[in-house]
Amino acid sequence: MHEKILASLTPVFREVFDTPNLVLTEELNAKDVEAWDSLNHITLIVEIERLTGLTLTTDELVELQNVGDFARLLATKGYRG
Amino acid sequence: MNIHNHPNVALFLASLSRQFPYFAGVIAKQYDAFGDAWLDGFEAELATFFAQDQQRIDLAVRGYGKFALDSMKLQVKFQKTKQYDNKSYAEAASEVYQNREYMFGLYLPGILLSHYLWRHHYQQHVFFEEKFLPLVGGEGFREFYDVGVGTGFYSKEMLTRSRMTGQGFDLSPHSLEHATLLLAAHGLTDRYRGNLRDIIANPVSPPADSLVNIEVLEHLEDPLRFIEALARMLRVGGYGLISAAINAPNADHIYLYRSADEVRAQLIEGGFVVIDQSVDLAYDPRSPDDLVPVNAAFIVTRK
Repeated sequence: MHEKILASLTPVFREVFDTPNLVLTEELNAKDVEAWDSLNHITLIVEIERLTGLTLTTDELVELQNVGDFARLLATKGYRG
Repeated sequence: MNIHNHPNVALFLASLSRQFPYFAGVIAKQYDAFGDAWLDGFEAELATFFAQDQQRIDLAVRGYGKFALDSMKLQVKFQKTKQYDNKSYAEAASEVYQNREYMFGLYLPGILLSHYLWRHHYQQHVFFEEKFLPLVGGEGFREFYDVGVGTGFYSKEMLTRSRMTGQGFDLSPHSLEHATLLLAAHGLTDRYRGNLRDIIANPVSPPADSLVNIEVLEHLEDPLRFIEALARMLRVGGYGLISAAINAPNADHIYLYRSADEVRAQLIEGGFVVIDQSVDLAYDPRSPDDLVPVNAAFIVTRK
């Protein structure tokens, strides 16, 4: 559903988690990626803000539990990938 | 780690894994660092205040998650600017201390849980237990003051681990309300009184036998003036525990301490003698220029 957004996010996730072959799916979450801890989560947020030019509020961040949540939030804020 | 004998920690971990899976590793990390004493203490805290109430644990986890995310985002910004956001005390008070929704929804649950979930906060607690409490356990120690009660955690610790009575002072009615709830859960309200009072504008006397002031200084525009007022609240021969956050941005951190030495120098200038200290990092720096939040705690007595 958000293929273009997932495609644009893929290099960011691979870089932050140092996992070159990571494949993003909407269901992917921190339980599936060993390096997805709290510090890398914040790095991920910062890099996604840099990529999209958007600012994500704390209230929005609280709702992000998997990649699909990221994609849906970015789409609602106007990002198309 | 035998989490099955710790049902409240198990509920907490399940809730954390569900709501903030990237934070869930903190339980194993803290256990690896601090062992059974940490696990038993966290279980007791959760059991007393949350009593296996899944809904209350879920709300506290949500508050903690928001608090931690907020702090970590500010830390990333601080890493670049090396400054806290320019904010007056009045602005911080309006945004945080006088804002009930913010205090109960995020700030107070976040701070309460951070005493167990943040490495440097738990290390401060160990310092309190091992170095400070033995000094104030004698016959001559009958009353303590807790200035800036926050959640009431250290008032509760003083009351449960000593025979003293206590008084708490804070400018936030919501902090005092939370402290009362926490102390009531522990059955400690009969030995304690909370006061909505500015200790600079309305000085407190007589001086107490002991004093705790945990991570308040960085919230102030002029911490030296506050330290001078604090010093007058401790009797000669009494002991105080005073701590401050260093390089640790938060929504209400105003005064930027860049080192433990800066805090120590202010305490001495303000009228204290420092007799021991514990300086603890939130986490190990990932690079040489990484600005990591630090907690500096000092055991003091009067000049």
